[in-house]
This record gives sequence, structure tokens and C-alpha cells, in this order.
Amino acid sequence: MTERVAIVGGGLGGLVAYATLRHLGVDDVTVFGTDIDPAAVWRERAAAIRQRFMRSESDGHVAPASFPGLAVRAALRSGSPGPLLRSVADRYHPPVEDFLAHVGEVRERTAWDDALVRARVARVVAVDDGFDLDGRGVFRHVLIAPGHPGLARPDELERDPRAVHAYEPHEYAEDVEVVGAGMAAATEWLNALDAGSTVTSVRRREPERRPLNLPRTLFSRRGLVGFHRAPRAERIGLLRRYSAPSYPPGRQWDEPLERAADEGRFRVAPELNGAGQVICATGFKRGFRHDPLLARLVGEHELETAEDWIVLAPDSTVPTLTDPRRTLALAGVPAQWAFPAADTLAGMKYAARRFAAKVVACPTR
Amino acid sequence: MSYTLRGRLESRVAAATLTLVLAVALAAPQRTWWPVELAALMTVVGLVLDAEVYHRLLPYQPGWVALPLGALELALVVTAARALGIAAPLGPALALFGAGWLVAQLLGHAALPRLRLSYAADGGELGRAGPALAVGVLVVFACSGGVAWAQRPPTVHLAAGVHQGPLVIDRSERLVGETGAVVRGGIVIRSDDVTVRNVTVLGGDDGIDVTGANGVVLDGVTISGARLDGIHVRDSSVTIRDCAVDSLGNRWAQGIDISFSMARAPSTVEGCSVVGGREGIVVHTTHAMLLRNRVSRTSSYGISLTEMSMGGIASNDVHGAQGVAIYCGDNSECEIDDNVVTGTEPGADWNGYGILVHYNSHATVRGNRLVSSPGGIKALANAQIETKRE
Repeated sequence: MTERVAIVGGGLGGLVAYATLRHLGVDDVTVFGTDIDPAAVWRERAAAIRQRFMRSESDGHVAPASFPGLAVRAALRSGSPGPLLRSVADRYHPPVEDFLAHVGEVRERTAWDDALVRARVARVVAVDDGFDLDGRGVFRHVLIAPGHPGLARPDELERDPRAVHAYEPHEYAEDVEVVGAGMAAATEWLNALDAGSTVTSVRRREPERRPLNLPRTLFSRRGLVGFHRAPRAERIGLLRRYSAPSYPPGRQWDEPLERAADEGRFRVAPELNGAGQVICATGFKRGFRHDPLLARLVGEHELETAEDWIVLAPDSTVPTLTDPRRTLALAGVPAQWAFPAADTLAGMKYAARRFAAKVVACPTR
Repeated sequence: MSYTLRGRLESRVAAATLTLVLAVALAAPQRTWWPVELAALMTVVGLVLDAEVYHRLLPYQPGWVALPLGALELALVVTAARALGIAAPLGPALALFGAGWLVAQLLGHAALPRLRLSYAADGGELGRAGPALAVGVLVVFACSGGVAWAQRPPTVHLAAGVHQGPLVIDRSERLVGETGAVVRGGIVIRSDDVTVRNVTVLGGDDGIDVTGANGVVLDGVTISGARLDGIHVRDSSVTIRDCAVDSLGNRWAQGIDISFSMARAPSTVEGCSVVGGREGIVVHTTHAMLLRNRVSRTSSYGISLTEMSMGGIASNDVHGAQGVAIYCGDNSECEIDDNVVTGTEPGADWNGYGILVHYNSHATVRGNRLVSSPGGIKALANAQIETKRE
């Protein structure tokens, strides 16, 4: 028997898609994931880098509709227009605890726990009128939201006992080297300085300073139309450029670093210098080949790829496996071919809304 | 938010739809068209700015930018409304603009993102609803225009020759005289939105009598031989342009008398020639502007703004008044600018004042030229004159 809708991945991308489907009246959704808490992985990583505020702005939440965002909710809760005013100036960054509480609310409101099947799906195979999920059933519409395929470490630090990844739980030694130049690295510089460490930023180029990872136009059709029309090589170049590490401009970053530099506690070096602790703020592994499920999907169905990316339609679906009666879509970081900021909450919503639209429009529903 | 061009236009049209509904709701009971005209103007100005300015200059538009853009649009709409002669009262017009702006913000930031989940990612586009909305707005504007056209006052052409009056107009209409059209015995106007153009009036108690009417226009009328006033206005709002009133031989007549109309919209008398009578142009308890008129040979006051009136007397030419050429009296507020007063003579009551401000009145005075007016400029009986710099 062909069931209707499945989401492979029980993280935030899966929750966003599930909540969107429920919002649009699609109730028979099965979610496959390994942890009952959709924020489990994100929570651990945020705690590891002592993240207190979201980088994303008001729309960085998991509710299906953009409005009301977290700024509106905070304003209503506090009775103060402050969050709204900061939001209209793109200066509202919700506290992490607010975000996690909101995830909990959505989880409860949408009965997420009832829809979740605790299982890891290792294989997705196209069959007549749907997709077989590792022998756990055939579903007509499937969204794969697998998350990042693992933490990236420089090869030379792979077996170094001094090394810890920024997204793994850790404390700070007296003398710390932080490898990387993105948001996690900048956060770790400040964390280690706060802990009293002497910090060396190991990097080979100056980090980019951008409010968000990508130009804002790429979050809407305004920028996406040009991106989707770009030739393959240009598109690959754009995705590589957008993946360059960056962190936001602002005094809250610059002043502590300048102060520490004056005290001789912060410096920049191009190479490791033998410090007692090395923190790899080097982000995640990139490319579908690092994800066994996706690598197998591509191999077994001969999907079109472009270097690290699976080639997707602009609506995040896999073109050769999607037709009016069935849908296979990707969400999260593997969906960057359709939406460069796919690994953000806005990106997860982009894929979720288009997937949900396909499900709702399906003539066999 | 990063709007696409189509998204900007469709979002604008969506907001215009609600503003238009509000405008129609305002216009319908009052049978006045300025709300619909203003809503159309707001929409057109917004669409032009969207297409020609915002889309090019604002690839990304943070929420706060709506405030300065709203101020810019307000300035452009006010300017365009004045240029196009849309007769919108300032307070309600600002309220309609403000409501339209607020509707646009609520739609763009709250309602549309809730109704259409991909609204922001689609750059403000509304999918299939967008063109439908545009057609709907066009239809409503077209229907409104059609209704307005259909409700225009009918035009009655008055043939050349003498027509026996008094001619009573008790419905909204435009009475247009052909060359040589004469009404003997006066015209009586008792309806709003009446226009009388190019008609000569002979005799009658009053040449033209307007009572209890709004939006009356007297354009190019010629009046002589009335037993009382040339043009007699009570509790009305009138625009009188390029008229000629002859009250010679009637020492007690008023050329143009507009009185007890403070509750109405301001009246205007502009470009008229008034000769003879006791007072040339007189205003009691009314808000009025008296501009570029020529008044001569009156037996008491040339131009008089009195009895708690407010208004301006500017660029008039007053010649040969007996008593006072320009009078601001009895608790009135006047601005008296750039008038030319010549040959004022002492009369029965007053000693040939060029400009007299009297009895608790206040006048600002600037740029007037007085020739052969022995009383000069004077304030009497607790009145005040404020002389403005050139």
C-alpha cells in the first residue's frame, strides 16, 4: 500500500517541513528520525560554541508562516516595542533560549512526537508511484532533510589529541588556537578570551564581514531568478563563494578583539604554533558524497550532479524522480543547488513550502 | 525584503484594493469623488515609484524604509493632487493616505505572509491572485470613473437673446450661456454643484442669489441693474471668477455680498470688476479669499471683510471709494497684501482711509500701495495691524 507523505530527517529541517504540511492541512505525514527532539543536534552545537543569540533575524524560526516572527512574539511577551523596532531595522537577533522554547512549542502544537518514527533511513529507492524507504514503507511524496553530513577537520588535526571541533563540547585551555574564520570561529575567539585564554586565530585570509551568509537578495526570487538561470560553472562558483566563512560586522565583535590584542592575548597567525588546545572552527563536511544516503541515492538512480551538489529543480525537487504523482525533494544543506541559503531556517522553509505545495496539488491525494 | 518588480506592483495593487474600498465607502454617502480620485492618484504614484525608482534603488528593503518612502509618496501625492485640482479637504485626505499606508504595512508584513506562506521568498508576488487583483482594481476604478461621469451635472446651454427670469436652479447643473445670452429678473441657485458661465443678468432683486449651496461656480457672469445685491450669497460656498457687477445708480446695493457661510468651505472672488453701490465686495462671518479684483466708485467701503470673518485681500485694485477702500472690521482676521488703493475720498462715516482695521480685528499688511488716500492705513477701536516685511 502506498502511503502519502514522508520526511526523512528528524532535525529542524524536518520539523519545518512537518509544521508546514500540517499548516496546509496535510495530516498523514510520517517523519523518520533518530532523536525525538528535533533541536537535539542544533542544541548541542549551539551549547558547544556558547551561542546566545541567533545569527538569523526575525524570520529565523520554525513556524510555517513568516508572521508572527520571534520579534512579534517577544514584543507581545514583554509588552515592549523594542524587539519590533530592532526587527524593522534588521537588528533583532532572538536569544537562543527563545528560539529553543519556540521549537518546543511548535513540536508540541503539531504533535510532532506522534508523527516521528525513530529509525535511520539508509536508502531511498524509487518504485512505482513513490519511494521505498529502506523497507519501511512506500511513500508517494518524500522530503529528505538529512542535515550536515559531519564535522569538517583539517587532515593534519584528524588524530591530534589537542584538537577539538568547535561544535563538540569543550572547555578552554590557557593557550588556544582557533582554526577558521567564520561565525563559529569568531564566537570561539570571544568565548576563549572570556575564559581567560590567550587566543591565536589561525587563518590564511581575512574573514568576510557580512550580516548574513549570503546577499539578502538571494533569499527571494529577486536574486534567485538570476541564480537559477546562471550556467552550471558560474553557479558552482557562486555556491563556493557563498560558502566562504564570514561573520557579521559590529562593535560587539571588534572591541573585545582589539582590547585583547592590546593586552597581548589575541593574535592572528597563518599556521599552528603548538598551543595546548586547537579548536577546529572549520564548519561541516561539504558535498553529497559525505552523506551515505544521498551518495547511494545518486548512485542508484544516476542523478545529475555538479561537483559537490545534486542538481535540483528551482523548487528543490529531484527532476528525474518527480512528476505529477510523486515527489522527491531535498531540504537543508543538500538543497543548495535550488536555494543557496538552504542550510538556514529560511532555506528550510523555502524547500518545505514548495514540497508542501506539490503535495497539496497532487491529483492522487 | 527583496521585492521583484512584479512583487512590488502586485503588493501595491493589493494594498490599493483595500484603500479603494475605504475610498468608495467614504465617497458614496457624500456623493463626493475626491476619495476615489485620491486613491487612484496614490496608486498611480506608488506604481510609478515602484517601477522607476524603488525597484532600481532598493534591491533589498528593510522594514524601516517604509517610513521615509511613505513621506516621499505623501509629498508627491499632495503635489500631484494640487496640480490636478483634486478638491480634497486636507484633514480627511491625510487620514485616507495614512490609512492606505498603514494598510500597506499590515498587508506586507503580516497579512500576506500569513495568507501566502512563500510571500517573502517570492519577492512579494501573489501568484495567480496578482493579475486578478490588478484587474479587480482596474474594474473598480473604471466603474467609479463611469459613475462619476454619469453623475456629472447636466449642461444646459442658454441661447443668445433675452430670457425672462427669475431663473431658479434647484438641481446640480451647468448653465452655459452662448454669446449674447441674457436673463432678465435674476438667477436663484438652491442646489449644490451648480456652475453658471458666460451669462448676463439684468435686474432682479438680487442679480444672482445663492443660498444653502456648496460648490457653486459663477464664471464670467455680468450683472447690472439689481435692486439689492449684484451677487448675494448666504450660507454657501462659492467660487466667483472673472465677473462684472455694475451697481451704479444704486447707492445702497452691495456688488458682491457673501455672508454667514463660516460653516461652509472657503469662498473665492477672483478677477471681478465691481463698480458702484455702497460696498463693492463685502464678506460677513465667512472664510473668503478676495484676489485680483477691481473695485471702484463705491459710496462707503470698497472691499470689506467683517463680523468675525477670516481671509485674504490680495492684489486688488480699489479706486475712488468714499469712506474706506479696504476694511477689516468687527473681530475679523485679515491678510491684506499687494493691493493698490487710489483716490479714496472722505465719506459720511469715515475719513478716506486706504486701509482701516477696526474693532478687535487683526490684520497683517504687506506691500500695499496707497495713492491719494488721506486717511492712510489705520487701526481703531482696539484693532491691531501687523506689518510684514517685504
